[in-house]
Amino acid sequence: MTIRNIIHSVLIVSLAAAGFNSAANAQNVSKEEQAQITVLQSDAPASEKAIACKHLAVHGSDAAVPELAKLLPDPKLSSWARIALEAIPGAVVDEALRKASETLEGRQLVGVINSIGNRRDAGAVELLVKRLNGKDVTAGSVAAVALGKIANQPAREALKSALAVANDDLRNAVAEGYVLCAEKLHRDGKATAAVAVYEEIRQAKLPKQRIVEATRGAILARGQEGLPLLLETLRSDDKKMFQLALGTVREFPGSDVDAALAKELNSAAPARAELIVQAMADRSDTVLLAAVLKSAEQGDAVVRLSAINALQRVGDVSCLAPLVKIATGNDESLAVAANETLTVLRGESVNKQVLAMVADADGATYRLLIELIGQRLIKAVPVLKKALASNDSETRAAALMSLGATVPLDQLGLLIDQVLSPDHAADLPAATNALRTASVRMPDRDACATELAKAVSKAKTETKSTLLEIISEVGGAKSLGTLATAAKSDSDALQDTASRLLGKWNGVDAAPVLLDLASTAPAGKYRIRALRGYLGLARKFSMPPRQRADMCNKAMKVATRTTEQKLALDVLKIHPSVPGLRLAAAARKNPKLSDHAKATTNAIAAALRKRGVNVDSVLSGS
Amino acid sequence: MVNQSDKTTTKKSRRDFLKAALATSTAPLFIPSTVLGRDGAIPPSERIIVGGIGIGRRGGYDLSCFLPQKDVQFVAVCDIKQKRRGEVKNIVDSHYGNEKCETYRDFRELLDRDDIDAVLIATGPNWHATAAMTAAKAGKDMYCEKPVTKNIEQSLILADTMRRTGRVFQAGTQRRNLPHFAFACELARTGKLGKLKRVYAHPAGMRALMSGWLPPEEEPDKEAVDWDMYLGPAAWRPYNKRLLDGFNFEKGGGFVGAFSGGGVLEWGSHCVDLCQWAVDDCPPPVEYHPPKDGEIVTRYENGTELVFREKGWIPLGSCPVRFEGETGWVEAGDSGKMVLSSPELLAGRQVEEIGGYPATFHVRDFLDCVKTRGLPKGNADAARDAHIACHAANIALYLNRTVKYDNKTNSFIDDEQANRLRSEALREPWRL
Repeated sequence: MTIRNIIHSVLIVSLAAAGFNSAANAQNVSKEEQAQITVLQSDAPASEKAIACKHLAVHGSDAAVPELAKLLPDPKLSSWARIALEAIPGAVVDEALRKASETLEGRQLVGVINSIGNRRDAGAVELLVKRLNGKDVTAGSVAAVALGKIANQPAREALKSALAVANDDLRNAVAEGYVLCAEKLHRDGKATAAVAVYEEIRQAKLPKQRIVEATRGAILARGQEGLPLLLETLRSDDKKMFQLALGTVREFPGSDVDAALAKELNSAAPARAELIVQAMADRSDTVLLAAVLKSAEQGDAVVRLSAINALQRVGDVSCLAPLVKIATGNDESLAVAANETLTVLRGESVNKQVLAMVADADGATYRLLIELIGQRLIKAVPVLKKALASNDSETRAAALMSLGATVPLDQLGLLIDQVLSPDHAADLPAATNALRTASVRMPDRDACATELAKAVSKAKTETKSTLLEIISEVGGAKSLGTLATAAKSDSDALQDTASRLLGKWNGVDAAPVLLDLASTAPAGKYRIRALRGYLGLARKFSMPPRQRADMCNKAMKVATRTTEQKLALDVLKIHPSVPGLRLAAAARKNPKLSDHAKATTNAIAAALRKRGVNVDSVLSGS
Repeated sequence: MVNQSDKTTTKKSRRDFLKAALATSTAPLFIPSTVLGRDGAIPPSERIIVGGIGIGRRGGYDLSCFLPQKDVQFVAVCDIKQKRRGEVKNIVDSHYGNEKCETYRDFRELLDRDDIDAVLIATGPNWHATAAMTAAKAGKDMYCEKPVTKNIEQSLILADTMRRTGRVFQAGTQRRNLPHFAFACELARTGKLGKLKRVYAHPAGMRALMSGWLPPEEEPDKEAVDWDMYLGPAAWRPYNKRLLDGFNFEKGGGFVGAFSGGGVLEWGSHCVDLCQWAVDDCPPPVEYHPPKDGEIVTRYENGTELVFREKGWIPLGSCPVRFEGETGWVEAGDSGKMVLSSPELLAGRQVEEIGGYPATFHVRDFLDCVKTRGLPKGNADAARDAHIACHAANIALYLNRTVKYDNKTNSFIDDEQANRLRSEALREPWRL
């Protein structure tokens, strides 16, 4: 009898002894399960047995355990068997795994011990302890972690003992398991016991990472009493320990830590303080804002930058004036950072305070506040309107930008006036940008386009083109109509601008307009442009094949040159379809298009054949 | 079976912390001064020493995001393929103008190096979780490609391990660091769309992916291709070079026959992750229905639906997401563009369009957090929840029936079959 057979016999006998009777339970075994068991019992190739194991992971019961257990010594199928065994609930599997662990060796033993650990089998502690204290360090290591997962008192005591006596190779795994025990104690409300375990690990000779984990646990398990250890760790010269403290700061409960961190800021080197202040700001519920603000206002520039950035997350109205001061100061990098923070500083009260400050401000501060109104989207058109009258061009530019960001539709005329007849000619580009910004964000784009269309009628020619550009960006039916009208106007410049913009229109709603212009635009060159724009829509946009073919058909009819007719065929080639094939095939009869149409027809037919379309009937019908 | 009560006990506080830390989602990141160098140079002691594990096609792209970072020193690469080890070493050495990049066949030797601070894990998905947790226990921070986990259990243990070990973990969900996706999520999260009704993710094919057991071929020399290490935690099967692509091998799911993670997990780990962000990183859905009309509908505790939807998308590129509230909606995709129900939702803000889903910003976020020890956008808690949603949806798909999930016990309610699919044993000697 081979060792493998002996193992099988032992397993079967033990399962029978455990009260398992496969014959008696046969009626409870599903057909699915029985089929898979039969595969395992057969001479089926390993690949089939492997898949049977996967099925049994879902459908298996106690009845499948004996056959699965037989596979545990098999280097090829052991892992497949454990996929099922780990998944099947119940004592029968636990017993089978325990028995297997007594006789297996090497990797297969490791796998079984891992499965025992994953199943949290408290009944296996004794055998795991034997492995832990045995000569096989690999098996002892996985047993240590399995004990850590089980984490009951006997497991914990075994790991405690092992930590004291284990050799270097084993001790690391023992500590890994012991940390799991400490976590369990902490979760169960036994913080004092958890701390004791963590401290034992911290005092042991172990790789740094285990000490890091134990220190984190020791800090958090102590609750508020853990603060001294947290600070001690934060002051450590060891980089890993300092990093651990920075992370743990963010998890630490209560608010005492916030005050302590504020003190640390004063004594820490700048390279550390800049990181501490970030950690402080991640404690948004309890952060000592005054300390962060103070760091933003004075001290080392590196720390100030970090603190200014941190205020984005935790700053409030109390930070507004100090940040405005920094943003208008001489240090450019600090000023940029302050400006970024001012833009996102939270709270409606910040907006109110901005408006309160602007009333008394002047110079650079006034300009900054005017900018902030736009950046923070504060509704303050009268304030901005007043700023438009400033003698300072930068202030006027800031006011225009802010109006662009905030002006409502019923006051769009303010910006339109600045474009039609700017008080200062040099302000025109800024006014145009502001009008564009305002127009494209208007929720009712037809209403906005109506306002802009009225302005077109009043504008000088060059300004009309600018307004048409903006109208095209607004989009919608009204904009489309305005551009269509302009494209047929008696001004060549407007025809040029409008037909160009329509040619770039980003939607098939422009198709009828472009098709009409393709035959009615005042100048031939704009008819061609319109037709090309029309074909561009057919090429770019998703649409039913019939619609696309119809558009190409209309384009070919309207086209006065073969160049555009060929473009229409190219569209059909890019989007192969049966309607497109019919159209291309028909075009072969046109002598001027014949070669191009034949090539297109062949290309479409080839593409359709690949999709399984019977194109012969289509072609024969043409 | 695993006792569910001992998982994620600090979940609530961690979740709250995460929300607070990520509240200013679109605000500029804090870049520690050591990134830029106070005098234009970064001393070696301030650099983050990085090693790579399994750097193939995707990993090569990630590597190209790491190498230009001034505060990174890439020093080692591990791969089970000799050819690839050499190729990556050449890239790294060429970048630094030296020959110092060390090569390893066994990633545990790389992790044993005390000088290495962080690792880039870009193996196939079969290895992601196991390698990540092994790295964490070795004291390394990590940027880990997605899908990060193969099943629900791994997702839970991953988050617990990162918390316990105090490591910085960034999943390769780089869209969290792209402005238009961040803005779309912010609109949903901050109530700008009204009460959220539905969030949509694109699974890009609810098809099966199967690693299989292919006919045996002669196994190469271990130095050339280490098949045993390639299989790693996956159940044993004979060598066949067609299984060596890594990308689809044992992607996750752990199901039977021709079914494995598929698009729900492959793409879901990105777009469901964004949906999770949109719902303010709340616990994953509690109810999952089987596919119907190209959709897998799931429901959060508060009634909001997460829908895996194949069709009906505005053409905005791959990985689209859509968030619908009672008063508005937004849709965004990999083109860098988004479509809003009303331009008013922009509220005057200009959102930068960055197409092509670059990982540069995500890598930078990770490196900054390595220094600050803050939470990166793709942290382990976020990855856990998104992956659980994908795995649970796959289970509903596989079982072809509705399953209900309890986030407190991390188990399916009165559903033994579904519960058995939460985890899968690892091949010996690997463990989590």
